[in-house]
Amino acid sequence: MHRLLSRMIVSFAYMIEGSTRYRKIKNFFFNLLENDDYPYKKYFDIFMIVIILSSVFILVIEVREAVPKWLDDFDLYFVTAVFITEYLLRMWVFSDLHTIILNAEEESRYLGRELRLGPLFWQIVKDKWRYVTSPAAIIDLIAILPSYREIRVLRILVLFRAFKMLRYAKSLGSFIFILKNKKFELLTLMLLTLFFVFIAGIMLYVFEGAGHNDKVHNLFDAFYWALVTISTVGYGDITPVTAEGRFMSMLIIVTGLGLISFATSVIVSSFSERLMELRDERVVQEVQKKKNITVVCGYGIMGQKVAEGLRQAEKELIVIDEDEEKAQLAHKSGFRTICADAARSVIFERIGLEKISHVLCLTADDEQNAFIAVNVKSLDQSVHVTARCSDREIAEKLTYAKIDKVVVPEEITAMMGSVYAGEPVAFEAVQSILAQEHDSRIDEVEIEPSSFFEGKTIEDLQMDEMRLVLLGVVRRVPGGGRRFIFRPDDTFVLMAGDHIVFMGRDAAIAHFKKRLLR
Amino acid sequence: MKRIDGHKKRIVLFGYGKYGRMLYRILREAGYDITVAIWKEENFARAEADGVKDMRAFSPRSNESIRGLRIDPANTLLYCVMERTANNLFLVLSLRELYHDTPIIAISNTEENSRKLRYAGADTIIDIYEAASRYIVTDITRPAVSEAINEIVFRNNDLKIAEIELEEGTFLEGAMTGSIDFGRRGIVLLAIIDKELGDKLIFATKGLDHKLDAGDTIILAGKERDIEAFRAELVASNKTIPQGVHDES
Repeated sequence: MHRLLSRMIVSFAYMIEGSTRYRKIKNFFFNLLENDDYPYKKYFDIFMIVIILSSVFILVIEVREAVPKWLDDFDLYFVTAVFITEYLLRMWVFSDLHTIILNAEEESRYLGRELRLGPLFWQIVKDKWRYVTSPAAIIDLIAILPSYREIRVLRILVLFRAFKMLRYAKSLGSFIFILKNKKFELLTLMLLTLFFVFIAGIMLYVFEGAGHNDKVHNLFDAFYWALVTISTVGYGDITPVTAEGRFMSMLIIVTGLGLISFATSVIVSSFSERLMELRDERVVQEVQKKKNITVVCGYGIMGQKVAEGLRQAEKELIVIDEDEEKAQLAHKSGFRTICADAARSVIFERIGLEKISHVLCLTADDEQNAFIAVNVKSLDQSVHVTARCSDREIAEKLTYAKIDKVVVPEEITAMMGSVYAGEPVAFEAVQSILAQEHDSRIDEVEIEPSSFFEGKTIEDLQMDEMRLVLLGVVRRVPGGGRRFIFRPDDTFVLMAGDHIVFMGRDAAIAHFKKRLLR
Repeated sequence: MKRIDGHKKRIVLFGYGKYGRMLYRILREAGYDITVAIWKEENFARAEADGVKDMRAFSPRSNESIRGLRIDPANTLLYCVMERTANNLFLVLSLRELYHDTPIIAISNTEENSRKLRYAGADTIIDIYEAASRYIVTDITRPAVSEAINEIVFRNNDLKIAEIELEEGTFLEGAMTGSIDFGRRGIVLLAIIDKELGDKLIFATKGLDHKLDAGDTIILAGKERDIEAFRAELVASNKTIPQGVHDES
């Protein structure tokens, strides 16, 4: 019998282990409940917050008014059902029972003895007990209790539902998370406060409890006074009347000021320490639904200029810099910023490589840029990677490592300098066109597949009418490369995928693009 | 880089750090005569290893050492490409004091330094980071434009951008820009500088026809042979100077 049962349990565990459907469903619920990066978790969280608020709202209404039956039923059945379901689902996704069973089975097979159900059962219970005793689960459980209407006082536990909100509202959770890091300091502070309240309370009771002060009847009154005074709240309902009592007041007011400043500084320093981390987390969440993100690694002079240029071109971008000061500067300039080492994979995985179209490695250090570029390429070859370096030799190495574009700023400067040597006025013109200083600029437009202009000629584009100057056409060539055809003549036939490069005034460009995309 | 034939100015390159070295290589490839003026001792060995033929010592603070380079002010371009902006600035001040009208080109790394260098007397400033970042941004936002600029401006091929200052008596004198068929000649008119309207660039996309006069400059893009053919056409049409227009490039 025992053997049959254990065999059934083990084969059931194997069946679950092998079921992709089961795994998919469990994964879905895990993501929905626990994975902050899952896009639909947000909607679930909002739904839960609404439910909790409605429940607290009903409690408040009930204090003075009679609540309609349907609202009461909603609170009693629907809200409770949602909470119980959520509690059970969380318990389910907390750990995998079948893994525990299969591990135990493997172990017993290895040791050559039968699977013992008793210890296995205890192991499972212990595992789930870890969930049940976690602070969040305790709050969840207490939040279910107010549904038990027989005991009226349990109604106040609805407020635990408000605590439940910590689960769903990220910023509230972050606050708790920050304070958690200063547990030691805050605990010391609390003990110190309790100590002073204890001493001051007893002293006041000793000085004034024997009938000098008609407001101090017992030790509780004295402690209440001590806490109200030390916190600098000072209601004034109990005030010392003897000189000793007043002297005592003066002492604990001064102490209280110190304690409050200490508490403030602990919380503020904790916030500033963790702020960067929280912001990084927020940035990752913000870009979850974006596509074609450009990641700028390094926010030095060059990173700043490139980021600014990309912002003007309305590109989605994230700036990464491991230097806290530079990250701070990027953040202040209004860029989505993450303070991290871009040479490590984890940051790109957190953003999601499928969302990234370009990565620009622009730190001042060649090795670091090479490291970042190779890191990204090794993770995903489809991401277009541009790396900056200071030397042609390094540039060739990087090109060999299939880095899409290698930019040597010194070389570009030198090339510009050389253009100047030949044609100084033309140089000014090129500078000015590139900087888009005038209302004339160079732009491009693609002939989309099945566009009206596919198969038409350059003449059909009627560019002269809009005073657009055609510079050329960039055409894909078989094998993956691209070729620039300088000013093809009017009979040149356009193909889908061709990019027309032209110069024109803003208004004319906009009009032309509209006509082509129509 | 573009190869430039015919008459060209001499170049004096001040500084042989990483920018100087790169610029030397590119200008050399383009066929310029270059004198490399070196301040730091260690750069001599470097220049020698790179095969620099004409190298001389100088100090940015000493006018005497600069005079010693025997610069021909009318036929020289001065490139200030020292590593430190402070040195470049001092050098620009010294050069401007010595040579009032010789073009000075200086590199800079920030807008602020560009302003200082311009104030000190540099005619043209190339902001290293500005140029490179513009290049990167264009490559991402408008890859075809980037390809076109590379082909026309930077890559060593038969495409080039050229400027032609119009002399008296050519067939362009008195013509309207709209009436000249540049397309038939395989070239593109990018911009003109109308002498009457100052030295501001007027792009061909402006929408207005301009009457061309002697002294105006036209900026063209095209294949080298088409541009040369156009120059030849201008020379042939010149009624006042039958021996041809002065060709600088």
